[in-house]
Amino acid sequence: MCGPHLLSQVDDNYSRTMRKIWTSAISLVFALTLFPIATTNASTVVSPESSCTKEGAKAQSPKKQTLICARIQGTKIWVPLGGDLVVAISQDPGSLNPAATTAGAVHTASELMFNGLVELDDKLNPVPELAESWTVNKKATIYTFKLRRGVKWHDGQPFTSADVKFTFEEVLLKYHSRTRAAMLSALATIYAPNPHTVEFIFKESYGPLLLQLDVTEAPILPAHIYRGSDPTKNPANLAPVGTGPYKFGSYARGAEIVLNRNPNYFKKGKPYLDRVIMRVVPNSATQVVAFESGSVDFLWGVPGPDRARLLARKKAFDTLVTRRNPGGANCMMTVSFNLRRPITSNLAVRQAIFHSLNRNAFLQNVIFGEGSVAVSPFSKGIVWAWGQNLKLPEYNTTKANALLDSAGWTGRDGSTRTAQNVVGVANGTKLSIDFLHFPTFAAYGELYKAQLKEVGIDVRLRPLESGPFATAVFNNRDFDSNIISYCNGNDPEIGIRRMYDSAQIGPVAFSNAAAYSNVTVDSMFQQARNTLDITKRQSLYQKIQEQLVKDVPYVWLVETKGTRIFRSGCGGFRPYSLFAEEAYCSN
Amino acid sequence: MSRYILRRLIQVVPTVFGVTLITFVLVHLAPGDPVEVLASGNGDAAYYQFMRAKYRLDESLLTQLWTYFANVLRGDFGTSYLTGESVVRMIMPRIGSTLLLAVSSIVVSTLVGLTFGTLAAWRVNRLLDRAVLRLSVFVAAAPSFWIAQVMLLVFALRLGIFPTDGRNSPGFEGTVLAMAIDTLWHLVLPMSVLAIQESSTVARLTRTGIVDQLGDDHIRLARAKGLGDLQVVLRHALRRSLTSVITVIGGRIGHVFSGAVVVELIFGWPGLGQLILSSSQSRDTPVLLGVLMLIAAAVVLMNLLTDLSYMIIDPRVRLK
Repeated sequence: MCGPHLLSQVDDNYSRTMRKIWTSAISLVFALTLFPIATTNASTVVSPESSCTKEGAKAQSPKKQTLICARIQGTKIWVPLGGDLVVAISQDPGSLNPAATTAGAVHTASELMFNGLVELDDKLNPVPELAESWTVNKKATIYTFKLRRGVKWHDGQPFTSADVKFTFEEVLLKYHSRTRAAMLSALATIYAPNPHTVEFIFKESYGPLLLQLDVTEAPILPAHIYRGSDPTKNPANLAPVGTGPYKFGSYARGAEIVLNRNPNYFKKGKPYLDRVIMRVVPNSATQVVAFESGSVDFLWGVPGPDRARLLARKKAFDTLVTRRNPGGANCMMTVSFNLRRPITSNLAVRQAIFHSLNRNAFLQNVIFGEGSVAVSPFSKGIVWAWGQNLKLPEYNTTKANALLDSAGWTGRDGSTRTAQNVVGVANGTKLSIDFLHFPTFAAYGELYKAQLKEVGIDVRLRPLESGPFATAVFNNRDFDSNIISYCNGNDPEIGIRRMYDSAQIGPVAFSNAAAYSNVTVDSMFQQARNTLDITKRQSLYQKIQEQLVKDVPYVWLVETKGTRIFRSGCGGFRPYSLFAEEAYCSN
Repeated sequence: MSRYILRRLIQVVPTVFGVTLITFVLVHLAPGDPVEVLASGNGDAAYYQFMRAKYRLDESLLTQLWTYFANVLRGDFGTSYLTGESVVRMIMPRIGSTLLLAVSSIVVSTLVGLTFGTLAAWRVNRLLDRAVLRLSVFVAAAPSFWIAQVMLLVFALRLGIFPTDGRNSPGFEGTVLAMAIDTLWHLVLPMSVLAIQESSTVARLTRTGIVDQLGDDHIRLARAKGLGDLQVVLRHALRRSLTSVITVIGGRIGHVFSGAVVVELIFGWPGLGQLILSSSQSRDTPVLLGVLMLIAAAVVLMNLLTDLSYMIIDPRVRLK
């Protein structure tokens, strides 16, 4: 056993001696342990989760690597030092500046070189990162952060409060679309009274700040490199200088980005790998082949059918299933109704569509079980805010038919219903609606069409790329229904309010698609933003969701998850930001 | 002669200009813009307005077009919206990769095509001839992405003799020679996919070229001198049919570039094809236009070189 402070003191001699002892004893111990276990479960022998015991170290069976005892995600285990991790990425990021964009490709490739003021743990609680501690005044208008001392940029310059102030004012609040949208109008000023203190002062109470300061939402850049330049064109965007666990090594365009271990990282002893190599493999089928052939160690995601095949070979691969993805956290596939069209403005029709959708079939057949059926308008990933005991319309075609009858859609033209006495619709009009979707979501469209046909609704599928889709839905409002992956984020204020706030109906992509407008809901969202009291926010969000379930502006279809797959022998991965800070790989 | 070359060189300008103009208009007519890509589904109206003004995307199409061409004439090909880097600096490192792929596949396919075409002509209407013809029709008809996937599964995954992706092994470090060998090893599969399809065209052209001459006087004379079938084909018929093979090289350059888009995508080969694909997906217009201009110029120049090479092979061709 070892304590967490021993990490840096473990020397090579110690581990070399230990390795010799184990090597000589290994055959005997192995035979003894294997014999009884062969009849139970082999995976318990080589579980990397075993604590720092002799058996645990033996299970790692390193050939050339030094083992150290480290605490990884709350468990103390033996971790091999050194080695490379090859990660497949789908896109050449082009830029490695995560503060100037929210594009997923840039963040995936560059976040390991940076840090935020805080990091979010598994339950989305803020934990210290560049900020050592913080205080918030009662009204939640002033946040004071004490910065960690002795942190150095990769070029050796000291990290100070000036970097934080500069990054927010000159980069994040201009170019980081999420941080800008969430904070720019609320923030009064950022004050840096001394090199180790930063204050965020808001015009009015602002609750969600601590959830918007991680390396994804607010990575901190070096002011001494970016000051006086256009941050979107600075040469450092292609050879970044950060504070993070890995330093920039090289970037071959369209091919790979090599990150090297930062030996002076402020979290002593971390990281454990020598290099992380981000390899551009645009084609997902090639990614799978590269992974199976062993040239790639880590995949961010695997298409459904391939996943089932890979998972069948459990010994070769391990997985991490998570709601946090490069595109955003806590994403939910959501069907929007256009509340400004005569057919879909009718509540009974929307309820009928909800009742006629077998959402479990979407989960099983479209995303191959990689997620869950939504149980509330807010993602269950926001553990304190999702609505409890809500009754979403269940799959029931009898109810759906009755609702459509009651709305006046009683006529028939072939298998499609027609209007008899529907308000705002001429008699004889077919119950026919369109459904806009990205080409990648075609399987959702096919199933939606097939399921609605059962109750006499005709669906016209309209596949559109993201640009045209956004124009049709948000600028022209030219749709009856559509499907969007709304990433709910870490706080309802960040990723959810935009879907329901009447102020966010307009030509901004992925805002309030339904054009839902409810004064009470608007004001409850505002109240929830203006308080720090989590119980108060919780009860407001509960009330909002109760109202939303009554109004059905959207169908909350399925919550999606991502499955990372990595070579056995590697481990210590986190869901997304700084995903390889504690990662290790035995060769 | 030199006037002919000059005239042909001047023709490059309107061709490249036309390609650029059409692409410019098409990209701008297509919905979506780079700001949406940068925001990737986030941001408020103020952000969109700010970014569109920064990149001058809020100006009229005509103004943007005018600014762009005025800059190009001054030698400024613009700056990528996504990376903030100059277009020239983005394209430069990728030219080598695509040239390597294109040139090697043209050379290999020409050699393979000539060999099979000659063999088929030598055994015209016999089993070998029919086999070559059937095979060439098959590979010409098979989609290149399918051939690429099959080769990937067989040679990279099952047999494990070639790497799956990229131009070099992950994190490769070594001498220039080691690097070159590593690159060649990575080149084999993507080059073969392009070469297989190209060689079928060459094989059929070669065969037809030779077979057409078999009744001609000079062939009859050669036979009368007592030369065997193979010698007649190799020494007398093949040389004349080379003209038609060379004719198509210029056109094949364009074909190889378009094939490279698919092959570079599947094999993760870091060339211009990947850049065409990614920049059109992200509406990174300056980069896309830059690459297309370069390719248009390359194709036109290759056609010119092809025309000039006729003269060397067939002195009867006189250029006016």
